[in-house]
Amino acid sequence: MMRWLRAWLADWLDCIDIPLLIGLLLILATSLVVLSSAGAEDGQHFVIAQGARFAAGLAAMLLIAKIPPHRLRAWTPIIFAFTLALMPVVFAVGSGRSARLWINLGFFYLQPGELLKLSVPMMVAWYLHRVVLPPSWTTLAICGLIIGVPAALIIRQPDLGTGLLVGASGVFALYLAGMHWWRIGLFVGAGLASLPIAWQFLHEYQKNRILTFIYPESDPLGTGWNIIQSKIAIGSGGWFGKGWGNSTQAKLDYLPEHTTDFLFSVLSEEWGWIGVIFVFSLYIFVIGRCLFIAANARDGFSRILVGALAMTFSVYVLVNGGMVVGLLPVVGVPMPLLSYGGTSAVSLLAGFGIVMSAKAHRKFMGA
Amino acid sequence: MARTLRRQRIKNNIAESEQFRRRSFIGFLCIALAMTGLGFGYFRLQVLQHHEYQLRSDANRIKPRPIVPARGLIYDRKGKLLADNIPAYRLELVPDQIDDIDKTIIDLKNIVTLDEEDIEAFQQARNATRRFRPVVLKLRLNEEERAKLAINRHRLPGVEVVPYLTRRYPYENLFAHVIGYVGRVDAKDLEKLGDSKFSALSHIGKSGLEKFYEESLRGEIGYESVETNAQGRPLKTVGMQKANPGFDIQLSIDADLQRATIEAFGELQGAAVAVDPRTGEVLAMVSLPLFDPNLFINGISHANYRALTDNLSRPLYDRNLQGGTAPGSTIKPFVALAGLESGLRKSEDKILSTGEFFLPGVSRGFRDSHHGGHGWVDLPESIAQSVNTYYYKLALDLGIERFDRYMLQYGFGKKTGIDLPSESIGILPSPEWKRKRFNEAWYPGDSVNAGIGQGAWNVTPLQLAQATAAIANNGEQRKLHLLKAKRHGFQASWKAETLAPSNRIANDPSHIESVKTGMWGTVNGPRGTARAIGVGAPYVIAGKTGTAQKVSRKGSISFNPNQLAMNQRHQALFIGYAPADNPQIAVAVMVEHGGFGSSTAAPIARKMMDAWLLPKSTVAETATAQKTDASVVKPVPAISP
Repeated sequence: MMRWLRAWLADWLDCIDIPLLIGLLLILATSLVVLSSAGAEDGQHFVIAQGARFAAGLAAMLLIAKIPPHRLRAWTPIIFAFTLALMPVVFAVGSGRSARLWINLGFFYLQPGELLKLSVPMMVAWYLHRVVLPPSWTTLAICGLIIGVPAALIIRQPDLGTGLLVGASGVFALYLAGMHWWRIGLFVGAGLASLPIAWQFLHEYQKNRILTFIYPESDPLGTGWNIIQSKIAIGSGGWFGKGWGNSTQAKLDYLPEHTTDFLFSVLSEEWGWIGVIFVFSLYIFVIGRCLFIAANARDGFSRILVGALAMTFSVYVLVNGGMVVGLLPVVGVPMPLLSYGGTSAVSLLAGFGIVMSAKAHRKFMGA
Repeated sequence: MARTLRRQRIKNNIAESEQFRRRSFIGFLCIALAMTGLGFGYFRLQVLQHHEYQLRSDANRIKPRPIVPARGLIYDRKGKLLADNIPAYRLELVPDQIDDIDKTIIDLKNIVTLDEEDIEAFQQARNATRRFRPVVLKLRLNEEERAKLAINRHRLPGVEVVPYLTRRYPYENLFAHVIGYVGRVDAKDLEKLGDSKFSALSHIGKSGLEKFYEESLRGEIGYESVETNAQGRPLKTVGMQKANPGFDIQLSIDADLQRATIEAFGELQGAAVAVDPRTGEVLAMVSLPLFDPNLFINGISHANYRALTDNLSRPLYDRNLQGGTAPGSTIKPFVALAGLESGLRKSEDKILSTGEFFLPGVSRGFRDSHHGGHGWVDLPESIAQSVNTYYYKLALDLGIERFDRYMLQYGFGKKTGIDLPSESIGILPSPEWKRKRFNEAWYPGDSVNAGIGQGAWNVTPLQLAQATAAIANNGEQRKLHLLKAKRHGFQASWKAETLAPSNRIANDPSHIESVKTGMWGTVNGPRGTARAIGVGAPYVIAGKTGTAQKVSRKGSISFNPNQLAMNQRHQALFIGYAPADNPQIAVAVMVEHGGFGSSTAAPIARKMMDAWLLPKSTVAETATAQKTDASVVKPVPAISP
């Protein structure tokens, strides 16, 4: 009995990349510590709820880590089709404050956009694994469909942040698959040229956010409020911060959304620049470790998928980090694994499950 | 080469893996670079600009909340409370906490009476205030409105009932022009004060003493540093600078004399000032018609304001300060004094009055009031009988420049310096003034007219009272003032104001004596012009009557009467003091459209003197009793809202 248990545990441990796990746990712990302060009197409630999500996410991570990549690869088309099919459902019965983002499952709010963040790079990796690389025009066109349709649907919800992240994950997969530089240049050029057209399709509030980003002081009490208050929070932190529990900007309600999208501002205020650098270092370590695992994976599917997930993860950090400090417009992208919010944390940790699976099974994977 | 590549398109895992290593390495470098850049972005805010953001964070968090001190109270000389603070409640809205302000106002209309003016004022104030600052919708809620608001409170978020102190003038119109009134602080006041902290004040002195002593009465606004949340809700006090209460002030005015003066006028309009000649203390100061200053405190309604401004008798116009009239014959004692002081006349020099006085080469004469003249009169007799010819000649002999110099010395043509705002200097008849005003040359006839107080003259009742008091006080002119004492805070004791040094208006006491003899003769002489008012008085009155007539008379040179306003014609005047041997009160009375000074103005002066001099002996005990009352706020009659 004991022996069997030990073997079982050893088997699990074998699936886990210890450095990556430590990096992730440090980020999660940071999240709980900052949340307990930012949540003020409700701090305990926030910590328990977020802790439960982290537990669920970690369980999902371990579960997925056990699944060999080839099996995951085999399921990919079905997973992709299923998550894509949820999109019309969310349009029909979805709920949300300003956009229809969630499906109420009774015990859990499911956000199909979050699932697509995983299934889209999976599907792209699945397809790229089957074709000769670097990707040809045909390959690019098919990948364009796989990425474009879900991304467009999510942006229509409207959830610009998630849509862009889903799109980015697909594009990173193509980049890592060796898409020619000149083709990348061509697409980037075309993308920039079409920005004025894309502007027409944005919702009024999205346009406002971008305008406020450019001129935050134009409406200091309206839409510019968030950015201004966030910058005040960060700037007043100084080198070493005001100390845990001393974020006046969050505690006195000057900083809106201080447990979710603007949690990192609270961290910056309480922990100062040193704290910011500490967290950035953790993120760089986690991203680097994932790319290292990807580079050493034996099969193309794992390689591209893990690489794309790692790079997408960096986009979260850069977009949220840039947004709260006023370097980027306000888009609804949380600080990954730090901000309060359910589906995002679970799907991110599930993604790291795929990374661990790639690490654990590379030895047994043939070409 | 390209051809072979295209033909050989088969999966090459090793090449792909190599490709991936390169790409992921470049990707990682880009990410690391971007993170470094972001880290610098944080560095810029947190380290380089830390100081600025630290300040902004504190400014965000800690709001100075003004503490408004209680406005100083105003008492009369016997300790009667003339201006009081009473607790009231006002209705405030916090726009930030209200979704639909228009709807809230409609809801509130069912609970409290709101007129268009309240709403208009609210909308204006709202546009000038930050959204989380409360804006006043209505002042002085009544009992019933407060009760209704309390019941409906839960369904009216952002609506607050706030206690404050408001001003009240228990004597209503009695001191309308003296004390003036306070009103709501407006944008113009704030600009003048130059500091937005004063917006915390609910009231500011707008006229009268309330305006003149604004700084003393206001006190100093204190501050409480309060940590507030984003909704502006104070959470805790982190610092405090106490408010300094305003000074209470005691006036030299006597409420009883003030009332007696108003009653003495009856239906008549005009002005009267009573002064203690020994000190310059103003004992009563009345301008009629009156108005109720309570109307202005919480914003006067358009209808009420129009009623006051449309009234042809101009109740808001202070006749003592801004009004004025030609002095008429009341100037004669002062012209006589000028004649003595200049050495041109001796008291006993006699002049013949024939009933008409002619300038050389001018055929039209200047008349005496008696047909056929007064005969030979000396200086005292010329005052008592008001002999025009005596002064026609004297003014001519003095010449207008010397004449004006003496008049200026007696206080005409300049401010008395009383502690009230917007005092007029009046007009001294002078060639410069006539040239400026009418672009006309000065004729000898103008000087002749000036000698009897007619023509281009304008003196205020205050100036007359001041000059009369100076004669009564044997030539020692005291500065007129209303402030008797001050105290800082409720427990403090009264601190009497020091008297300004007196100003001698005559070099030789015998000159004053001669003038006083003349003024005594006006009331007590066999041919005095105001003999009637001395009848039955247990004290001796001295005085001088006057009538400011602007209508041209046959045979005289005069100004076009159309250039003068209605209420400046035919003013009856009386100046006087009593008791004649030891003056304790000097008065100046002006009655508009009052006919002759002896028939309307003089009896009013008599009643004022009676009110001041007669009760003195009999009410000595009550006076001391009232003195102890001064420190206690007495219940006062309620005023209409």
